[in-house]
Amino acid sequence: MFCIIALIIFSILGIFSATHRELAKEALDCVFRRVTLRPCNTGFREKIKSRILVRLLSRSTFLARLFNRHFELLSWIFFILMIASTFWTVKGGYNYYLYGSCNGLNQNGFCAFDPKGENNKVTEINATCGAVEKKEKNVTLKDVDLSSFSTKNIGSKNTVVLIGCYECDYTRKAYADIQKLVREQKTNYIFAHYPAKENTNYLSGVGYCVYKEYGERFWQFNDYLFTVDKVSIYGKDYMERILNNFEFDVNKINECLNSTETTSVVENQLKQLQKTHLYGTPTVFINGKAFVGPKPYRVYRNEIKKFIIF
Amino acid sequence: MLNYEKIKNDFPLLNKQAQKKPIVYFDSACMSLKPKQVIEAMNEYYFYFPACSGRSSHRLGELVTKKIKEARQIVANFINADEQEVIFTRNTTEAVNLLANSLDLKNEDLVLTTDKEHNSNLIPWQMLIKKKGIRHEIVKSKNDGTFDFEKYKELVKTSRLVSMVHTSNLDGTTIPAKEIIKTAHENGVLVFLDAAQSAPHIKIDVKDLDVDFLAFSGHKMLGPTGTGVFYGKYNLLEKFEPFMVGGDTVEYSTYTDHKMLKAPEKFEAGLQDYAGIIGLGEAVNYLEAIGFDNIREQELELNRYITEEISKFPKIKIIGPTNPALRSGIISFYIDDMDMHQVALMLDEMSSVMIRSGQHCVHSWFNDKKIKNSARVSLYFYNTMEEAEEFISGLNKIIKIL
Ligand SMILES: Cc1ncc(COP(=O)(O)O)c(C=O)c1O
Repeated sequence: MFCIIALIIFSILGIFSATHRELAKEALDCVFRRVTLRPCNTGFREKIKSRILVRLLSRSTFLARLFNRHFELLSWIFFILMIASTFWTVKGGYNYYLYGSCNGLNQNGFCAFDPKGENNKVTEINATCGAVEKKEKNVTLKDVDLSSFSTKNIGSKNTVVLIGCYECDYTRKAYADIQKLVREQKTNYIFAHYPAKENTNYLSGVGYCVYKEYGERFWQFNDYLFTVDKVSIYGKDYMERILNNFEFDVNKINECLNSTETTSVVENQLKQLQKTHLYGTPTVFINGKAFVGPKPYRVYRNEIKKFIIF
Repeated sequence: MLNYEKIKNDFPLLNKQAQKKPIVYFDSACMSLKPKQVIEAMNEYYFYFPACSGRSSHRLGELVTKKIKEARQIVANFINADEQEVIFTRNTTEAVNLLANSLDLKNEDLVLTTDKEHNSNLIPWQMLIKKKGIRHEIVKSKNDGTFDFEKYKELVKTSRLVSMVHTSNLDGTTIPAKEIIKTAHENGVLVFLDAAQSAPHIKIDVKDLDVDFLAFSGHKMLGPTGTGVFYGKYNLLEKFEPFMVGGDTVEYSTYTDHKMLKAPEKFEAGLQDYAGIIGLGEAVNYLEAIGFDNIREQELELNRYITEEISKFPKIKIIGPTNPALRSGIISFYIDDMDMHQVALMLDEMSSVMIRSGQHCVHSWFNDKKIKNSARVSLYFYNTMEEAEEFISGLNKIIKIL
């Protein structure tokens, strides 16, 4: 047991130093019982124990005595802690790979691979769903009607839903990856604008009208809104110019915007989005599973090409 | 009086100023240090006359033959033997094997040993029990570790060979060899002495002892590794069948027959370690120049001090007699429930003190006494009081963590 701990520790230290590489080799020998405690030979265990004892002794006789007397017990404790921490490290790494967070999908706790929690950051919304706890497990597409949102249906078995806001940095961060995902994995795609910030509230209606009037051409327009400098979409004044640039009929769009039908659709859209219990943008659903915050591309891709152990 | 300045100069490892972490070498029973003179003598062979002895008649060959003859003479004088009674071996172990395989021991012949034999003087006899059906009896030591002469007198009567360790590498005790041999001879019994630990420390006179066979290793007495000596009375050697034969052991051979050379050549099969043998001769010269009285005096002084200091630790038990004068340069000790390897390793790590730990190839004794292992300090004339103090100070620290 002691040899196993030593093997792991010295193997890691061995990456950096030749002396530790030698000790790792000895530990390996020890593990395979090649170093038997033959009387004419000295055991690896004693060697390492003595080295530690001498170092402790130079600092504190008490500590050295404690270590000497309870070496076996300490080794076991250390071993169990090491196994546990190895398990959590591996699990954390696996979660990070799969979900962009060591603690699991959409979990906020500290993650060494993503110390700033970038992969979980969202633009918080003060949604009216305050009654429901802000919990990723509550975020769902159940009973949500997405039929009025811009949709690209290519008959794939996979569907990606992106709920985001044009003005929000985290949605913008995720946007390119979602586009890539939809393109490379050939999935169905629904985009829903959630007005998380006031400056761009009006874009829900604009988006709806562009999609209604121009169908497929909406997607180019959508790309533009997500990639252009945020300030240029803050006001309605800018919008006319943009619509013109895309050779959309501004009057037609305005007409659509002013219609009561649009108002009620947009209101209903907001209601539907709130039903998802989302608490921030971007929220991405892949085949109904929620990913809150901008995840690394591989996380989205892995959800489609499933590979899950834990 | 020892000239320590000269000694320091002769043994590079003792020159502490030249070392970052000066070493205290207390493991001479396993392997002694070697003076420059020995190493230079060997180098000289390799540099200037690396030829065959006894085979080639050219100048270099003749020079090697002369040097080997000189070395044999030096070693013979060292133990007061005749030149042709000295057989060069690789070590003591090979010498014991030579004896075990060459002496005409038969079924039921009894070989008598002590209870503290090095495996080298135990396993060859155990093999003969299997091969020839000989018997093996042990003369158990008295409680204080000294030789039980009364028990011996009983057992020797029916023995064929007494094969005993002269000075024990386990506890440093020396058996009363002269009386043992006298009694054996009175009973018509041959005697072999394993002098691996005595030859480096006390004057051995095979004629005075009247011992029949004796062996020792060069590397424990300042000589090179891979050198050893087997001594046998010439009339006995003549009757021996050599157990290794081949080149250099015969006068001539035909396709069907050969004529053996006489002792010692017939026992020295194949090309020998000429450099080693020359080095061994030089080591003997060095030892004689130091003088056994000086060696004994220095070892005893240090052993006395260390024994006295160790006795202050109630947890430490010394193996063998309490009187240091009876333990040559050896202090073998253990602590119940403690792995003594750890003590040795810590002394090395902490104070650069090199001592041996384990069962010292006397497993049989440890197994019988149910003691796990011991730590062994083994001194030689080149060790000093400061070194002994360094050791005790290190041991003091270790004791505190028990
Ligand atoms: C008493 C005794 N006999 C025999 C031997 C074996 O010597 P070698 O290994 O040189 O053959 C030793 C070595 O430690 C010894 O101490």
